Amino acid sequence: MLAGIDYFIVIAYIIGMLLLGLYFKKFVNSSEDYFLGGKSLPFWAIGMSIVVSDIGALDFVGVSGQAYRYGISVGNFDWVGSVPAMLLAAFIFIPYFWRGGMYTIPEYLGRRYNQKVRTIASVTWILFFALDLGVLFWASAVLLNVLMGWPIWISIVSTAGVVGLYTYFGGITAVIMTDVVQFVIMFIGGFALVFLSLYEVGGWDNMVEKIATMGPEYRNHFDIIQPQNTKSPFPWTGILFGLTFVMANAYMIGNQSIVQRCLTAKNEWHAKASMIFGSALKMFIPILVLFPGLMAVVVHPGLADGDQALPLMIKSILPPGLVGLMFAAFFAGLMSSVDSLLNSTATLFTKDIYEPFIKKGADDKHYLKVGQITTLVLLVIGVATSPISSDFPGIYVAIQTFMSYFQGPIFSILLLGIFWKRSTEWGGLSALVIGIGFAVYLNVFKEQFFTIEDPFLYISWWSFLLGVIINISVSSLTKKHTAEQLQGLVFSSKILSKNKNL
Amino acid sequence: MFNFDWLSDVSQETAKMIFLCLYAVIGLLVLLLPNEYVYEGIAKEDRHWWNNLKLWSIAVLSILASIYNNF
Repeated sequence: MLAGIDYFIVIAYIIGMLLLGLYFKKFVNSSEDYFLGGKSLPFWAIGMSIVVSDIGALDFVGVSGQAYRYGISVGNFDWVGSVPAMLLAAFIFIPYFWRGGMYTIPEYLGRRYNQKVRTIASVTWILFFALDLGVLFWASAVLLNVLMGWPIWISIVSTAGVVGLYTYFGGITAVIMTDVVQFVIMFIGGFALVFLSLYEVGGWDNMVEKIATMGPEYRNHFDIIQPQNTKSPFPWTGILFGLTFVMANAYMIGNQSIVQRCLTAKNEWHAKASMIFGSALKMFIPILVLFPGLMAVVVHPGLADGDQALPLMIKSILPPGLVGLMFAAFFAGLMSSVDSLLNSTATLFTKDIYEPFIKKGADDKHYLKVGQITTLVLLVIGVATSPISSDFPGIYVAIQTFMSYFQGPIFSILLLGIFWKRSTEWGGLSALVIGIGFAVYLNVFKEQFFTIEDPFLYISWWSFLLGVIINISVSSLTKKHTAEQLQGLVFSSKILSKNKNL
Repeated sequence: MFNFDWLSDVSQETAKMIFLCLYAVIGLLVLLLPNEYVYEGIAKEDRHWWNNLKLWSIAVLSILASIYNNF
């Protein structure tokens, strides 16, 4: 499917990424440089990095497929499912983390609650990221193989080699700055497809008119708000309670790979601005990933599998050259996801596990080396475990489901931890453990409890609510923390004043 | 209860209004933030209207509200 010029674009892109990433090696002299970029990065680079690392090669295909089946309501995830949470993060949570000089979210939980909460949260994230790495390698490689005929192992080894080299040497600065280029590539490739597809269907109004006449199943395709009794996974109640109130906040405030980027900002203003700038960019993502799926309804009607929508649009619409650019955009999505996982997992392991449990008080160069070696080990594990996915085809969905168990309870303890002084270590620990258990229970018996197709939004809401109730109940019965213990960890109106000591 | 059946009588139009009200409330809360806090990190002589993060937030929320209003 690729022409000569497409191969040239892809190879030039991969070599360019490698050289750019390696350039940042010279800025890494300490563990702070490696994990937090020396706290020197500007808001625009961090904002772009947040957005691009959130969207992988699989999301292009998956979201287009969902848009083909369910219509524009899929866009809720990048609109209401991002913007309010990013503003809350920008103005409330990020300043606390940034001023506290933290490296990880579990580090905050450890200071606010206790070491057990920190370890449970950190180990859960490490397990998820490590498992996700191998699965991501394989699933993306299979996708690229189907789309472009690229051999699976060449895709895995070239991605691992390039991303591994620049992440090993350049740390998070290399990750963020390569993400900036990957963002530009992704947007150029994505918008090229959208504009050419729009031309193909005769413009937006023409497309809406055609889809409206295609039958009753397309009646709600352009309604962003779906009724409560819809059979799709996106009823407005789930979008409001599960997505807006819980999952979006858990993702933007409790996800190490997102928050760590903001902590690299050169000052507090840049840390806040990175989230707000990222939220503005996020609003364009549905145009890139959702619109091609909608337009495929007109160009390729009646597909049994919605996930075929995007590949078919690329094949039928893009000319040589732009196919290469789109391929580079897929690669950009894959690389930005992999480099985020590598660096964030290395940070979690070094700061939350190695430093407190294995070797305390070593010199800074030692922790820098540990971070680099962890990156390398993770990469080897990711490549070595990637074929497991071929034996367990449902593993990607299973891992994402596993993470949805964690979102509600983790956000409940973060929220009460920062806004409620009375929340205690036992309240936080029991809310985390019981909340996760309840989410697993609801998922196992979901047919008995829920009427919609995939109730992950409802599960995250109810497990969050139980986490809040458990935290309040147990905290009320246990010994409260002293004012000294809570210094700089609980929201105070002083943060809104000139008092930098919180 | 788990399926929010008690909200089944709420129409799509009303639900849309709930989302638009949510954006308005967030916008109001952002506007209530002290300027000193919003500009924290920027030297006093470099503070201009274009690096006021309240304006950035209101702009983003306005675009979001217009998307929900039109669809």
